[in-house]
Amino acid sequence: MKRFLLILCLISAEVVWAGPKLLYEEDPTLLTTTIEIVVQSGSSEDPMDKTGIATTIAELLLRGTQTKDRATFQSTLERMGGAISGSASHDTIEFSGEVIKENTDAFLDLITEFLTKPSFSEKEFKSLMQENLAAIQHIKNVNTRLGGLALRREVFAGTPLERPTQGTLKTLKAIQLKDLKDRYKNSFHKGNFLFAVASPLKKSQIEKKLEAIWNVLPDGKASVSPEIALKIPSEPTLIVVNKPHTSSGSVLMGQAGIVAKEPDRYDLYLGNFSFGGEPLVSRLFNVVRGALGWTYAIGSTYQAMGSLSKQKGLFMVYTTPSIEFTTKSLFKILNMWDSYLQGGLKKDEIDLAQDSLVNSYPFGFDSANKRLGWKVMSELYDVPVLSPSEYESKIRAIGNGELVKRLKKHHTARGWIISVVADAKVIQKQLDEEQKNIPADKRFKIAKILKPEQIIE
Amino acid sequence: MKLFGSLLSLLICLFSLNCQSASYQKVAEHTLFNGDKLTEFRLENGLQVLHVPRHQAKVLTYQVWFRVGSLDEKLDAKLKKTGLAHLFEHMMFRGTAKYPDGVFDKLISRMGGTGQNASTYFYRTNYYESVPSDQLEALMTLESDRMQNLQITPALFEREKGAVVGELRRHLDSPVSVGFDQLLDGVFKVAPFRFTVLGSEKEIKGFTLEEANYFYKTYYAPNNATLIVIGDVDAGKLMSLVTKYYGEMKSQEVPRHKVPEEPPQTKERKIYTRHKQATSDSLLVGYRIPTVSSPDFTSLALLATHLSTGMEGRLRKLLVDPGIAVSANGAPSSRPDLFEFVVSLSEKHRAEQALAIIDQEVARLQKKQISEKDFQRALNQEKLDMYGNIGSNSSLANMLGEYLVLSGDYLLGFKMLSAFEKLTPVDLQKAAKQHLNKKQRTIVVIRPAKRGGKKS
Repeated sequence: MKRFLLILCLISAEVVWAGPKLLYEEDPTLLTTTIEIVVQSGSSEDPMDKTGIATTIAELLLRGTQTKDRATFQSTLERMGGAISGSASHDTIEFSGEVIKENTDAFLDLITEFLTKPSFSEKEFKSLMQENLAAIQHIKNVNTRLGGLALRREVFAGTPLERPTQGTLKTLKAIQLKDLKDRYKNSFHKGNFLFAVASPLKKSQIEKKLEAIWNVLPDGKASVSPEIALKIPSEPTLIVVNKPHTSSGSVLMGQAGIVAKEPDRYDLYLGNFSFGGEPLVSRLFNVVRGALGWTYAIGSTYQAMGSLSKQKGLFMVYTTPSIEFTTKSLFKILNMWDSYLQGGLKKDEIDLAQDSLVNSYPFGFDSANKRLGWKVMSELYDVPVLSPSEYESKIRAIGNGELVKRLKKHHTARGWIISVVADAKVIQKQLDEEQKNIPADKRFKIAKILKPEQIIE
Repeated sequence: MKLFGSLLSLLICLFSLNCQSASYQKVAEHTLFNGDKLTEFRLENGLQVLHVPRHQAKVLTYQVWFRVGSLDEKLDAKLKKTGLAHLFEHMMFRGTAKYPDGVFDKLISRMGGTGQNASTYFYRTNYYESVPSDQLEALMTLESDRMQNLQITPALFEREKGAVVGELRRHLDSPVSVGFDQLLDGVFKVAPFRFTVLGSEKEIKGFTLEEANYFYKTYYAPNNATLIVIGDVDAGKLMSLVTKYYGEMKSQEVPRHKVPEEPPQTKERKIYTRHKQATSDSLLVGYRIPTVSSPDFTSLALLATHLSTGMEGRLRKLLVDPGIAVSANGAPSSRPDLFEFVVSLSEKHRAEQALAIIDQEVARLQKKQISEKDFQRALNQEKLDMYGNIGSNSSLANMLGEYLVLSGDYLLGFKMLSAFEKLTPVDLQKAAKQHLNKKQRTIVVIRPAKRGGKKS
């Protein structure tokens, strides 16, 4: 009899709770409630000729519901001391919101409304498109963005990651309102949703509200995005985005990066800490800025495309040297990379990186929102959240031999795609000067010169 | 006081020398609206200390603010330079006899320090980082050492100039950054806000070791500094360490330069310029306004929220939604005291179009009060901003430090939030009428190089 009751309880427990997946951080000291809603369907699912659908949906959903036009919706939200923004990554559409704690209930009601009863207003769609096209045109003013997009075009050529999540002039113009409605219908279902909340309120209070969303979402299975391969050349490939008369150069160098759940990430992060990842103490900083004084900003990162995700991102070195030191910096970085790849780190560098990473680990968990961020990362990308002692064990176990093995497994000495945003004539002259003792056929050359307009078209 | 009356209780009290050590005073204690306790201490040598204990996580934020910035270098008769305060800030990372170049940064990194950096502005320079709380003494050893024992070698000084020139070049490649420089140059004919914080390349390259050492010895004094510590440490332990590491420093006479008063502006000024990197127009408009301590500043700040915050912000609706601009903001700044509009135009639109729309909106604000709904929206957006930020150790430290060096009152940010609650739409209308008038404004239009331009 007892056994029967136990089985019944288990069955009823499963039947009763059919609510949304909710990651929760309760913190009574918080004065606001923050919410992150993740729909696991990002821009990598956009058709190649219509990149930007996921981003446009994220923005359009906040521009009116079936019962509230945009002005009414937004003024209601903002008057209660709330704010919500929508964005898309390659893997997800995300809505991030925050409200002063006393208005949490009303805030969640508004979220329910825009997620389940969007208006898809033709007028708002046109207005949003106009706004986004203007924003893309404006990228020509920002050299670091131009360089990033030039790099992306080359590394991900022919794949859905070739273009930025917000699309390009051409792909945005191709998007119709029907495309957004179809995507909404296909992607906004139970299998794709994840809710994450940090609040001073009880979890049960939030769950009750979120059930209203859950109950009207259709069933569905989680989207599975295929992993997209990068096209990395065997020799350095230099693309110059021609911007005459710059007084500095914007240099970005990309190699294949890693996916979020890559087990070697601890070794690679530790190595990168000393190569270029940690401001003020890395090799790149100490040599190119500290000893040579060629640049103000320099570093390297595995998070060149935002947080690590399901897709293999880029490992990137970035710097903005004074124009006269642009190619000098480039050659110096290539040499330093080669030395790092072949020999790894010195013992004192490894010691420093280990101490720093272990000692700074608590900062990743010092607020409810940061703790929540880890939970979301873990849920979406299968990344284990290590306790401080587990993390320390991992980090302390890393030695130089293992590091070099991992570096060689994931990277190459010369497989770089490099974008430089600067005056192409100046760069050519510098290349000639720097390589005057090298036979012409063996020189490092500019593979492509692009105009800023070509990057955003 | 309505809502915030109960949120912000100021329990200012002056204690005598009955603390743990006779070398410091507890000057005041305050309970912030979120329940945090803020205590102000002062050492005998004049060093001011602000402390907020928070034990939720074993970390803390450590900031040192000096009341010296680029205004001082220009007003100091022995210098009369531009860019030295900023270059000097870089040199503070270049080592002492005990901790030579690179060692300071490595030690802070090794202890798990994050967010280590510094910044220089017209009226202040600050240095900051966050560390695990068990590293407080180690950090204080380093910070107090560089405050009194910095060694500037000729080689390091010259190398750092290269990095600073790199920073300047990046700044010069940004059309809007150059626009700000031009705006200040246009507004201020007497006050030294017209000289940039970064300086010119020629000046940066020309600074001498003697000038840098003079600057250090003159302005980096305990009585010219405030230490802000927020996080996992109790007052007793903190002050015992502060006394140990900062207590021996000598107070000294720090020159107090009177910033020449800028005469009232009586006529609109316009500057048209071109930038080789610009691909569309940018518009900057600066109205002369009163200082941050003035009641009108509060009205202007809330007015700015009405104009610039959220999807319902007026400038967004008028300029960004119709595709005229890609971004548009209006906000008051303090020292220099200006209400600034900054608009980045879309390619097919001209700055004059944005200016006409701003003028219409300002005229509307002057003629008619904003609605109660709009007023409530602005007020609650201010609360959201404050509530969201106060929980972060570094955000709170930034706010306390910035208001302190601006106005002398580190609680001014909280007081402003409280003052917003007492305002009405009438106050915002009055402020718009009084301060947003054309005679006291300067306009800068940056155009792409091809289109040409004129200066008037």
